[in-house]
Amino acid sequence: MPYAEFKAPKGIIKVFVKLAEGVISQIQISGDFFMYPEEALDDLEQLLVGTNAERAELSKLIEQFYEQRQIQTPMLTPDCFVEAIMRAVRR
Amino acid sequence: MEGWRVIPLRVDDPFYSMAIDEAILKLNSEGRSPNTLRFWRWQPSTVSLGYFQSLEREVDLLAAAKYGVAVVRRLSGGGAVFHDHDGELTYSVVCRQEDLPRDIMESFRVICGGLIKGFERLGLEARFAPLNDVEVGGKKISGSAQTRKWGSVLQHGTILVDPDIRLMFELLKVSPEKISDKFIASVYERVTSLARELKKRPSFEEVRDAMCAGFADSLSASFEEGDLTSEEINLAEELKAKYASKEWLMKR
Repeated sequence: MPYAEFKAPKGIIKVFVKLAEGVISQIQISGDFFMYPEEALDDLEQLLVGTNAERAELSKLIEQFYEQRQIQTPMLTPDCFVEAIMRAVRR
Repeated sequence: MEGWRVIPLRVDDPFYSMAIDEAILKLNSEGRSPNTLRFWRWQPSTVSLGYFQSLEREVDLLAAAKYGVAVVRRLSGGGAVFHDHDGELTYSVVCRQEDLPRDIMESFRVICGGLIKGFERLGLEARFAPLNDVEVGGKKISGSAQTRKWGSVLQHGTILVDPDIRLMFELLKVSPEKISDKFIASVYERVTSLARELKKRPSFEEVRDAMCAGFADSLSASFEEGDLTSEEINLAEELKAKYASKEWLMKR
């Protein structure tokens, strides 16, 4: 499965992703970051399955997710996750 | 802030220790356990994995088996930590959410403030290094992780007394090209310990007493020594199986 890492100033996001015709069919996000509430990462992975692996679409989806779920990831922005996923997608 | 409980120094197995943390957190959120400070050591030495970390990505399981080091996933996020039975003291703080700043970084700063006062009592000038570290002379001497659940906060972290850094890097997976004498040397540049800074190794009790006084100072709290309640012990016994399970360990 394509894998990539993105090192933010504080924290590393690691992503495994599997695509089917440009759509995310499987994704695993891990890393040494903090996310509150913690259950949200499972939900984010589920939300990403079925999404086009395109930066603009991922960006919009993840930002909406942050807003709706009041996600806090100290010292990491939604864009850090987008960047990590895009790097894995390009592999 | 009103009275806090401080629990006498304990040495427990990793699964039970993690279960005690969660039991106190849960019961604190239900108003059945007081705000609590606890110091403890790991028996055997253990690698604790952050809640969001991938087991196979982070830990060399063959090396862990070879050295008899346990591996456990934490309830809290953050990075993997090597808890050396002989060289590391762990602290846990559990309190109500409303007793800390809402902002995560600020709440790390408040609790790390207790550690900083503790290091001062031991004769060292330490500072908070956001998000979750305490440094002496620009080198990390303590790292913490925090989880918030049910209206309460658990922050736990490591106080490096005299850890085996070389073993730490055999256990934690670092890109293979990075592990070299040069790499180990660069770690010595970034990580330090009480033994190294004080040029003598303090006892765990000494460190514990200094930190305890530090927390009393910085939280303006009065501490009363107290053991775990039978309710906490029962819940911890129950929760222990989760932390010892393969499902939990291999969650990511």
